Amino acid sequence: MLKSDNLVSSRQFFIARSFAWFMMLLLGARYFQIQIVEHEIYRLKSNTNRIRKVNKNAPRGLILARDGEILVDNYPVYVLTAIPGEMKDKGSQFKLIADYIESDSSIIHSNYKKYYRGRFIPTRLAKDMNFLQLGNLEENKLNLEGVYYDQIPERFFPNGVRAAHLFGYVKEIDRSIRKNLKNKAAYELGDLVGWSGLEKQYEAFLMGQRGTSFYEVNASGREVGTASELDDTRPIPGNNIRTTIDLQLQLFCENLMNDKKGVILVGDPLSGGVLAATSAPDYSPDFFTGLITESNWKDMSTNQDKPLLNRYIQGTYIPGSIVKMITQAALLKQDNFDKNNKYHCPGFYQFGDRIFGCWFTEGHGSLNLVEAMSVSCDVYFYKTVTELSLENLYDTFNQFGFGSKTNIDIPNEASGLVPDKSYMSKRYGKSGWSRGVLLNLAIGQGELLVTPIQVLNYINLLSTKGSSPNSHFVFVDNLPQNVKPELSSDIWSNIHNGLRSAIISSNGTGKKSDPNFNDFLVFGKTGTAENPHGDNHAWFVGWADYNEKKYSIVILLENAGSGGAVAAPLAKKVFEKIIENSRFASR
Amino acid sequence: MINFKKLNIIETPWKIIFSASLLSSIGLVALSSISYQSPSIVQNPFFKQLFFLIFAFAGFLIAFLTPKYLIHKYAYVIYSLGIVLVILPFFGATHAGTYRWLNIGLPFNFQPSEFAKIFTVIALARYLSDNTINIQYFKSILIPILIALFPSLVVLNQPDLGTALVMISVIFPMLYWSGARPFYLFLLVAPILSILTAFNVIAFSIWALIIAAVIFYSNTKIISGAGYFFGNVFFGLLSRPIWDMLNPYQQNRVLTFIYPEKDPLGAAYQIIQSKTAIGSGGLFGKGWGEGTQTHLKFLPVQESDFILSVIGEEFGFIAIVVILIIFGYLISSIIRNSFLSKDKFSSLSLIGLGSILLAHVFVNTAMTVGLIPVKGLPLPFISAGGTFLVTSYLMIGLIMRFSINYSD
Repeated sequence: MLKSDNLVSSRQFFIARSFAWFMMLLLGARYFQIQIVEHEIYRLKSNTNRIRKVNKNAPRGLILARDGEILVDNYPVYVLTAIPGEMKDKGSQFKLIADYIESDSSIIHSNYKKYYRGRFIPTRLAKDMNFLQLGNLEENKLNLEGVYYDQIPERFFPNGVRAAHLFGYVKEIDRSIRKNLKNKAAYELGDLVGWSGLEKQYEAFLMGQRGTSFYEVNASGREVGTASELDDTRPIPGNNIRTTIDLQLQLFCENLMNDKKGVILVGDPLSGGVLAATSAPDYSPDFFTGLITESNWKDMSTNQDKPLLNRYIQGTYIPGSIVKMITQAALLKQDNFDKNNKYHCPGFYQFGDRIFGCWFTEGHGSLNLVEAMSVSCDVYFYKTVTELSLENLYDTFNQFGFGSKTNIDIPNEASGLVPDKSYMSKRYGKSGWSRGVLLNLAIGQGELLVTPIQVLNYINLLSTKGSSPNSHFVFVDNLPQNVKPELSSDIWSNIHNGLRSAIISSNGTGKKSDPNFNDFLVFGKTGTAENPHGDNHAWFVGWADYNEKKYSIVILLENAGSGGAVAAPLAKKVFEKIIENSRFASR
Repeated sequence: MINFKKLNIIETPWKIIFSASLLSSIGLVALSSISYQSPSIVQNPFFKQLFFLIFAFAGFLIAFLTPKYLIHKYAYVIYSLGIVLVILPFFGATHAGTYRWLNIGLPFNFQPSEFAKIFTVIALARYLSDNTINIQYFKSILIPILIALFPSLVVLNQPDLGTALVMISVIFPMLYWSGARPFYLFLLVAPILSILTAFNVIAFSIWALIIAAVIFYSNTKIISGAGYFFGNVFFGLLSRPIWDMLNPYQQNRVLTFIYPEKDPLGAAYQIIQSKTAIGSGGLFGKGWGEGTQTHLKFLPVQESDFILSVIGEEFGFIAIVVILIIFGYLISSIIRNSFLSKDKFSSLSLIGLGSILLAHVFVNTAMTVGLIPVKGLPLPFISAGGTFLVTSYLMIGLIMRFSINYSD
């Protein structure tokens, strides 16, 4: 039946057999390439394939008051997260979640979009979950595949201190923020970064080191256990920073400034540390924690009273009479100036064809330098300052740090403005201004602009005769070098006399600031700055010598009227609080 | 009818069934590794494979004990019945968008296209042994081509590109075995390559040069040579419309093969994961049950098409070499038996069946390491899979029967 014979030649046989073995050899060679030559590449790949890295944010360091009380703390909050790759039907799950936590599914959806970073990376859906909400979710866990919750440390403010401008706030890093960070490598999306205030300035100290956990996951991304061969690293909390803030004084000043607009700064001239700093109105420090709604933000950012402005470093004000000590120093530096020489104040001064008025229109009569300081006579300075050049005055302002940043340790400080010849020529043209500028500058009016922190530093320098260290909020080892005005001791004591006289003489402008307490010696100067935009700003600046300590103070009340009438009484309250505190402390 | 007396035990090539069993044992070890977390026995690939091995052994016995003359006599009848069987699934329900499976009232589905390979080979062997082929005349090879082409086209429409390609490719070794000059086989294959290379200008130019060179050295007459050359160019121009005829999933496979990095979670996922599994196995592998790629389910269809990835990851290059040597030995033995066969029908059947095995081994093994695009072709004896396992052992039974040199 199978009649035809097989006629395959041995050549055909050889070729067929060789072909079969050649195929095997080819396959073997490919396996050799992958398994032996490129083994290391694939070994690494297989490890990263199955291991998921999960970051644990480190709690940020605490911000403490000078005596160790906690000003800014961490508080664990529950956040609801979802792993996108594990969710079955996002739309309906978002709706369910919204029902359980009594939120709106569109909010959850927008959060999801905002925080989405990858299919297997937990994505935040909602924050600040309470136990009732968590309970609801837990009960319905079966419908919520891929939905988890997590604890994250968040900032909270235990002692009721508002100082939002000082502390600043932290921001969660998103793509656009990360792009602009200097040390990108240290941050991942979702980490917190200090965005303003101390949080920003001391970011390197506060941030801590994130911890990493490794989980073994299967192809659908579900965790099936920990990866035993990789060690988890625990998050290392950030370092605490101790501020120079005196908790009681800070709270007291914040209360004083309720319903007011302005600044209170209290400092320690001997160390340069700031004891209290308020900028009013301000905002609650947890305003930026959590999610800000659009309308909240709009209200805040368009508020006429500018609560977002940190007035003591960013507010630039006309100083008025509080800078007369600069003029005083500049005059005393002149060899031919006689401080005892009396000048007559009729209440005004005619300079060329212009009339410059004294704030006291009835006139102060004849006064010498100390008397002029005591009553803050303008005409005395109009008359004497004509012996000075604009450069003389400008240099002295510079010597006390005006016109440049104080290098205080919170960011975004303004530098203010001290006009010189070139500034005036630029602004008004070469012949557009006259020596009248000099007269304005002498009494702190005109183009001059200062920040309250510059003023505090200036007071510190005056009280320590030029040796006060740089102003600062945090105890650090390497303070920046402060300006150091060099004046003879005669000049210093003349300035001190004038400031003391302003408090204790019967018609001294600052006498309402004196708490009249034994050994509590107040030196001070009021200012009423003419404000082209509205009512006058009231200033009180000065310091108190008490028990070998010094307390400097700067009070600014916007649109509040006369410094002597409204700012000085406020200073008195602060001084009384200082006395009370120190007696309490010594007891 | 079955003639036990004539079955010569000494002449029976036991090494063939031994090689196959050895490969199945290796497969069982790998399957047991991925099975331990299976929830039920029915879903457990290891037990499933054991269960099917019983059927496979029965199939082997039936094929082995069927007299050769019966197979020879009814070759065309089997072929016709087979065609009907392959067409049947088109009248049933689709499974995952394909018509590959036939529900036969068992808990498992039946895949007739696997059998199609066998009856195609038998029918081809019958035709080629009955007729003297003069391959220089296209007319004389028209029928064998049609014999292979018809079931291939049906299977291609199921759609099962892999099996169809295996089926059509069988014709080349079988024609060669029946005395066709390699040059004419080249002429047969050339149009296909013309179509494939036409997508790239450079590849097409090189290919055209090769055709020209082959035609030149084969001393073909100028007119037929030129005609053939331009015929190929014409096929090349056809390639674009043919490409548009392909299913998106087939286009996708080709594209994924050319650009695997384009879509790591899509079609290329399988190749990437498989290579990662195999590459991370290294020389000795990660050990039984220790394959992280495998056990964390990064690897899809790991128990069937990608069983070699499991073996490569857990037992390393050593195991792969062993498997390749066993396959090489098996196929080489089949070729040897084919060479030694006294009658042409046995010889052609053996070379055809051997080619099917070799094609499966090559396509599956090469696919798991990204040498060729992913084809849904399992590895004979090792991969889990009901119909395919039974078919493989049926083929072994036939191979052993055809290897015994007696005539009945």
